[in-house]
Amino acid sequence: MRIYGPQTLFEDVQQRGLCIGCGGCVALCPHFKTYKGKTARLFPCDRETGRCHAYCPKAEVDLDELARQSGQPSYPASPAGGYQRIVASRSGRRLAGQTCQSGGTVTALMTLALASGRIESAVLTGTKGLVPHPVRVTHPDGVAACASSKYTAAPTLSGLNAAIEAGRRHIGVVATPCQATAIAQMRANPLQQDDFQDPAGLVIGLFCTWALDTRHLIAFLDQRMDTRRIRKMTIPPPPAEVLIIRTDTGDSEIPLDQIRPLIPGGCRICPDMTAEWADLSVGELEGRPAWNTLIVRSETGRALVDEAARDGWLETESYPSGQLDHLLGAARGKKRRALQQARADGLLNSAPDTCRAALRLDAKTVDALIGDGEECACRY
Amino acid sequence: MENTPGQRHLVMGNEAISRGILEAGVQVAAAYPGTPSSEIIEVLSQVAARRHMYTEWSVNEKVALEVAAAASFAGLRAVAVMKQVGMNVAADFLLHVALRGIRGGLVLISCEDPGGLSSTNEGESRPYAKMMEFPLLEPGDFQEAKDMTRWAFDLSERLGSIVMVRSVTRLSHASGNVTFGQLPEDRPTADFNFNGAMLDPDTGPMINLPGPVTIIHRRQQEKMARAAALFETSPFNRYDGPERPELLVITASACQLYCREAIEILGLEQRVGLLKLGTTWPLPIQLLQRHLALCRRILVVEEVLPFLEENLQAFAARAAARIGIKQFFGKNDGALPSTGELNPDLVMAALSRILDIAPMGRDDAYRRRAEAIFAKGAPPRELTFCPGCPHRASFWGIHNALAMDNRRGFVSGDIGCYSLAALPCGFESLKTLHAMGSGLGMASGFGKLSPFGFDQPVIAVCGDSTFYHAVMPALVNAIHNDANVTLVVLDNSGTAMTGFQAHPGLAVNALGETVPTVEIPDLCRAMGAKVRVCDPFDLPVTQNTLLEMLDDPQGVNVLVLRQICALSPEKKGKKRYDMAVDPQICRADDCGCNRFCTRIFRCPGLGYDPQKGTARIDEVICAGCGVCADICPSGAIERKQRS
Repeated sequence: MRIYGPQTLFEDVQQRGLCIGCGGCVALCPHFKTYKGKTARLFPCDRETGRCHAYCPKAEVDLDELARQSGQPSYPASPAGGYQRIVASRSGRRLAGQTCQSGGTVTALMTLALASGRIESAVLTGTKGLVPHPVRVTHPDGVAACASSKYTAAPTLSGLNAAIEAGRRHIGVVATPCQATAIAQMRANPLQQDDFQDPAGLVIGLFCTWALDTRHLIAFLDQRMDTRRIRKMTIPPPPAEVLIIRTDTGDSEIPLDQIRPLIPGGCRICPDMTAEWADLSVGELEGRPAWNTLIVRSETGRALVDEAARDGWLETESYPSGQLDHLLGAARGKKRRALQQARADGLLNSAPDTCRAALRLDAKTVDALIGDGEECACRY
Repeated sequence: MENTPGQRHLVMGNEAISRGILEAGVQVAAAYPGTPSSEIIEVLSQVAARRHMYTEWSVNEKVALEVAAAASFAGLRAVAVMKQVGMNVAADFLLHVALRGIRGGLVLISCEDPGGLSSTNEGESRPYAKMMEFPLLEPGDFQEAKDMTRWAFDLSERLGSIVMVRSVTRLSHASGNVTFGQLPEDRPTADFNFNGAMLDPDTGPMINLPGPVTIIHRRQQEKMARAAALFETSPFNRYDGPERPELLVITASACQLYCREAIEILGLEQRVGLLKLGTTWPLPIQLLQRHLALCRRILVVEEVLPFLEENLQAFAARAAARIGIKQFFGKNDGALPSTGELNPDLVMAALSRILDIAPMGRDDAYRRRAEAIFAKGAPPRELTFCPGCPHRASFWGIHNALAMDNRRGFVSGDIGCYSLAALPCGFESLKTLHAMGSGLGMASGFGKLSPFGFDQPVIAVCGDSTFYHAVMPALVNAIHNDANVTLVVLDNSGTAMTGFQAHPGLAVNALGETVPTVEIPDLCRAMGAKVRVCDPFDLPVTQNTLLEMLDDPQGVNVLVLRQICALSPEKKGKKRYDMAVDPQICRADDCGCNRFCTRIFRCPGLGYDPQKGTARIDEVICAGCGVCADICPSGAIERKQRS
């Protein structure tokens, strides 16, 4: 990993328009803050290296290095990263009566992780109005309150950093792929600190094809409705192609083509749909709205899922064979588009003496992932 | 300032002017404070009760001149005092009072600031005398500062015209010996007579109307002709030098001191003549003609613009048939700079070049010693807010709110100590800075640019005194025109920058009397603004309030940040907290903050101890405001409430 300082971070990420506001650089020092979905640099800092740069998922992310840190020989040329197994899942009887976004898998697993003492707290994402913000939960009953899809880039990691700075460890996090990437870099002790302790006890990743810029989305919706009345947002699986806004007075449907311009630039170079650096990754299961896709990646994740299934927190089934190709196809499509975009923008494997990169990985892996360059049917 | 006629006193130039005002029997004096003029009203206020005199800090310079003119119309002697920028504020009324004339002696004193030592400009007001046609006097030393001021009232009444006395920083703020004159004991009563004919200068109404303008204007020009005739024999115009000099130096104001010193040092007393003018507009034509005829080469020494030089050149051209062709040196040929203050060295350099004299070098011993001291260097010191200054805390909140808002917002600044917020001490927040009241005026304009793609939030700032002086019209404008702006009033309870003079927000006036207050929040609410009041030392509340205001997509928000100036008499030397740095917690260079307190917050009360590798409190200058405890991300700065 090439690690630079906060000024480089500001130039390479914020000024290039790549910041997705994950909060990875926030609450480490007084210089970076998050406000209304955007990360702001309050003052310049001339440190030559810093955790802010080391954690950032849009600055010099070395995917091969991250793979080695997680025990893989190199970053795999596979659409969904390295994993042990993929299953269908939903919350079990222990969570009966809880309202969740789809299958309730994330709520069930994080509730169990807290209840069992695997983690001492969980950093989740809540909302104030339409603005997402980190929520730190220490009691299992608090998890369900954050159970809904946000669709806007969230500064969740500022909550993780704040908890770590307060001396907390064994922290669970529900993270989008970019946030999981930042956590993976965090767990690698990038600055080689002597007193380093892995702060994350569990990372549950969420599938993500893109997020929306919080401020742009609020401005967009403000022109169309009273945003104070919005209760929930959801994007049904294809071929729906709409964002459904659920309000006190009924539903509104907004074609995805209208909101795609609100996607932050950083999402367009993100190669990760399935949160590859998490212990467990969870997404919707197309065709079965009350179920999730659950990818088990690490031993930590496997042990939690096994206990959850055994003790009634989670129901699992074998993954429908027809769905796997579809899932991997979508993940492959996102990877291909992101790597093509990053390469076109000069942000992939840039020569160290000319330009700093956003992403680095073996050139042969890049070729294998991009393939013949044909555009996938799946779209952002 | 009490009655000690015939005695010599060492006084400041502004005190000499004040004494001249007292000797003239002035009964009303009004001013808006501004360096280098503020001491005049302060001195007069101290003796006002005993001298049966009324003094006031007016809300601005135009009102000050109007207050003084009212006394003049009622037959009293009156004076209005201001600095050069205030002349521009007073200019509209000045044009009309100069045209219509006065009754009791009315003098306008402008103390000006060549070099902009205490100003955002070095504009000068001498051209107003020519443009608006009233007499201009420029004292050349401390005795003249007193004597000319006193005489200005006689002249004003003799002509029926307002008279301007112009001082400069090096006269107003330097000190010299002055022999005092008598203080008058007669006390005229005030009465405004308006029953005479419309245009009667002594008994008619004091009105400017479109119809008789040319009649009154002609009368004004006749006054100027009488003034020029009086100036021909004025003792304030003096010539020193040989009968046939090689070079004639013509000068006025404090520059005459530089000229005398330069001539003496160069030993040019037998080669160079010095004509020092005290009456610089209108010019005494006969006197000038006599002296211009003495030699071919003329050097005009004056500060900033070539006002005297160009008027002399114009006269010399008209008189060429009688006095011959002259060669002028001064600003226009580059002999002297057209910016900044002059000094004896600059005059010596000009004389040396013109007379082809080898420039005088420094004495070797002096030069060596100076070079040795210079080599050591002076500690670098930047312009900054004082320890405990509320403005540092205010701009911390303003800067951070704009940065977090993250839409390239900026501050439209105004005139006061807080103008320093353009520098690192104010986190370089100010991006526009012009005249008093311009901060909100500019913001009002920026706030109407959204139809043209402008999407940057604007915060205007102003001080409490500035609010009354010139911001209120801009606030009305912003509200009426529905501009989307935020105004932050930095209310430190006084006209702090110029010495804590009273303003309408305080329950005291220049005389120390209890007076009604005019509350800024009430005024703003009455105008229709959304108003909040916060303590800037409460950093989170200030910042969050500003963020809410920046989020408001419509209308004008006003945040009054109220905290008394750290140097105010009621606060100075009284620490609220004892501050300390816990060396066990502060890690300075090793902390992620990267010395946040000393590198960014930069209160002079904070320092870095290289031996311990921690921040430290300078207990001598720390004002004990406690704010730095809130900016340390590690909680290493502790505050303990004083009992």
